[in-house]
Amino acid sequence: MPLRWSKALRDAAIVVLLSAALALASNRLRPTARIPLVAQREYEVLVPCPEFEGRAALALDVSQLSPSERGLLLVDAREKAEFSRWHMPRALSIPYDYFEPKPEERKVLRTRARKVVVYGDGENPDSGQQLANVISGKGVKNVFYVKGGAPALRAASLERGKSTHPGRGTP
Amino acid sequence: MSWRGHAWLALPARLYLGFVFFYACLHKIADPAAFALDVATYQLLPLWLVNLTALVLPWIELVTSVMIVIGYRTRAAALLIAGMMLVFIVALGWALGQGLDMSCGCFASSSTDHPISWLTMLRDAAWFGLALYVLFFDHNPVGLDRWLAARRSRTRAFEAPGR
Repeated sequence: MPLRWSKALRDAAIVVLLSAALALASNRLRPTARIPLVAQREYEVLVPCPEFEGRAALALDVSQLSPSERGLLLVDAREKAEFSRWHMPRALSIPYDYFEPKPEERKVLRTRARKVVVYGDGENPDSGQQLANVISGKGVKNVFYVKGGAPALRAASLERGKSTHPGRGTP
Repeated sequence: MSWRGHAWLALPARLYLGFVFFYACLHKIADPAAFALDVATYQLLPLWLVNLTALVLPWIELVTSVMIVIGYRTRAAALLIAGMMLVFIVALGWALGQGLDMSCGCFASSSTDHPISWLTMLRDAAWFGLALYVLFFDHNPVGLDRWLAARRSRTRAFEAPGR
């Protein structure tokens, strides 16, 4: 039995060598579309952003949001640094990365919230909307995003005179 | 394990695998630059290995597909096909784990092929299973191997009639 295996391995190695020789010869003889054996520069790999699939999160105006609502979970989609500068009270930080959109939706599921409101940077595209869509697409119900994101929320909270965390609030 | 029927059961598996690999290598051999880009898209290999892989892999696919169909050095061909399938499965799993929205580049260049999914991996796993079946159970494959073995034993018998 070991003899059969060693024979198969030897034959496989011969096939690989033969194939390599054929590949190199065919590449050399090729009049067009010849490629260098070693790429001289990095390939420009363009992987399209994943298209959103599933249920889209709904938009929510700042005026429609009541942070004290029972069962409400606020999610901050901005970067950690932005979050530490200012955030809504009791907001959960789940930074949204456009290049690696793998949000930790388990964190959201663990809270057993009845309603999830995500706010982001409020830019175009809005990280909050993106994250809300991803969370909603994972099957979480009642997911909303705040129109205008953190800047709109902050302006509204300042207007109301109810700032957020004392000390961690406005710089 | 040594049941004779395995050879006949493995025959359609061999023909199928041979067809799949033969078909898969055609576009890669025709356009190695496009396949090199497909390989690079997986972001798995270092740059110096991308072109070499893109050049050599399709030829291994071609040679093994012919070998497994005609039944010549069938175990070696099955071993190589199983090895390649394992590599493809790992690459696919890695790409899916990374959330890369890309095509596998298996039967056409990435720009025209279907995007990868867990179904692609399941399909590859099935082909891996077929290759393993041929490798571990088809000890006397129908084809050139069997014919050559019979010829060798006839020659031996002819050369040493007194024994």
